[in-house]
Amino acid sequence: MIARTLIHRALVVLLVLYLVVPFGWMVVYSAFPSSNLRSVRMDLSPADLTLASYTALLSDSTFLVPIRNSLIVAAATTLICMALGSLCAYVFARFRFRGQQTLLLGMMAVQAIPAVVLAVPLFVLLRSFGLYDSMLGMILTYTAFILPLVIWMMVSFFESIPVNLEKAARVDGCTRLGIVRRVVLPLSGPGLAATSIFAFITAWSDFFLAKVLTSNNTPLLPVRTAAFQGIFAMDYTAAATAGVITALPVLVLALLAQKWIVQGITEGAVKG
Amino acid sequence: MTRRTLTAGERGDRRFAILAASPAVLTIGALFLYPLLYAVMLSLYQMNDKLPGATQFVGLWNYAQIATDANFRQALVRTLVFSIFTVLGGVALAVGIARLLQHPFRGRNLARVLLLVPWAVPPVVNGIMWKLIFDGTYGVANSALAGLGLIGRPIQWLADPELIMGVLILSEVWKLTPFLALMTIASMQAIPSNIYRAAAIDGAGSWAQFWKVTLPNLRGTLMFLLIVQSMWSIKVFDTIYVLTGGSGGPAEATTTVNFLAYLTTFSYLDRGYGAAMSITIMGIVIATTIFWILLLGRRKEKST
Repeated sequence: MIARTLIHRALVVLLVLYLVVPFGWMVVYSAFPSSNLRSVRMDLSPADLTLASYTALLSDSTFLVPIRNSLIVAAATTLICMALGSLCAYVFARFRFRGQQTLLLGMMAVQAIPAVVLAVPLFVLLRSFGLYDSMLGMILTYTAFILPLVIWMMVSFFESIPVNLEKAARVDGCTRLGIVRRVVLPLSGPGLAATSIFAFITAWSDFFLAKVLTSNNTPLLPVRTAAFQGIFAMDYTAAATAGVITALPVLVLALLAQKWIVQGITEGAVKG
Repeated sequence: MTRRTLTAGERGDRRFAILAASPAVLTIGALFLYPLLYAVMLSLYQMNDKLPGATQFVGLWNYAQIATDANFRQALVRTLVFSIFTVLGGVALAVGIARLLQHPFRGRNLARVLLLVPWAVPPVVNGIMWKLIFDGTYGVANSALAGLGLIGRPIQWLADPELIMGVLILSEVWKLTPFLALMTIASMQAIPSNIYRAAAIDGAGSWAQFWKVTLPNLRGTLMFLLIVQSMWSIKVFDTIYVLTGGSGGPAEATTTVNFLAYLTTFSYLDRGYGAAMSITIMGIVIATTIFWILLLGRRKEKST
């Protein structure tokens, strides 16, 4: 029994290291000059610790502008997805109509479409509306990609709210929209939080669509960060720093909201 | 159903339902359906930006090309290798992790929260992270191995066609498995504890309980995880791009079908052929999904 427990604990420690060390290593890397990091003679003496590359990057406008753009695009996408998505999800959760299952399955089926299928058509579509390489274009694109998932997640949250409360509110003379606003939304706080964080992280992290649908006007952070590694030359410290800065906002967000996210996953999984 | 007059309330409800659902449905329709149809059309044309003026309708010719394209076949084999490891290995690892965290112990919550770390790391950053570990000159993997006296000179992980596939698999599994594990834990907890108690009374040890109780009850979840991870694996892109400097190399060793479709469309500018390729990939994703449903979804069908 004791041996079993010991093995279990050892495996858990291994798991924790496995989860944390790769990212932690990048953080370490970002705080040492490149010259210290050659693998034959790695020098990690604390005396050489430096935040120089952080101050350099955070005072570089070619890096700050993408941060700002990504923040705006991800935040706006999240807002739109949550507004449109939760209304639509409410209808799916509370009304029965013909074609409902098909529509809901269709929302899931779009997950099967690789982004590369849509890249050229979206490029043509956005360009014809003058939205290529613009924030609005990216917000619309991400909204289309993330909305189906938001609806899918919110439907299961709404279905877990008892209908009786709404009936009571109806008797009291509430309109449907009033019910959504006063009864349903306040009760689905954790679900809303988990879903919006999910939406934000997805929009913030996307690389492929940003790479294909933007250029110099609207640089987004993942594209900028990916550019730190060329094939021939790579400033390892700067790349690590950019990596940490790109990951940090969503990492902090995920950890702060971990309770809701885990709860959200749990509710979704139990249903599925 | 016979027609009947709707009450004012019902009519109001219907208007509300249509008004509330349509913005989302229309947005998705406009930005998914239209581009999808456009892509299907495009795949029926020969259209190469390097050969302007040669654009013409060629019907299914592009698809016939794909069937005999050696590059595509090789990319398909690479995708298969990558997917077998990331899907089967990833889901098995996820179940293992979930099993490890199934029963309460001190620190379990912390371990569970940390499962969110890989999930939250953006794919581009994930690529950089593994590049920093496996770089031939600067990578810590080499310094660790050298420190242990296991290697005399640095291994070029990212320049060796076989090793880089291993690094790619590792990075994908690291990023995506913990999320699968979280979902597995969730459905493990939904298994009623009296089934375990009954099994224990029948003399089943914890290993037998895992095989006879836990796994069968996870059937639906496992199917879902296999489907989701298969989709992710076939569509892998960002990590390849970052690990290989956008080349899918060395010597095309990491050019999976999705990456090949990207290169065809955006580097070779062969739009029609690229579109046909990406639609073929979509077909592969759908076929894989159906495969998992047929393999694991039977019981659910019977019960409903």
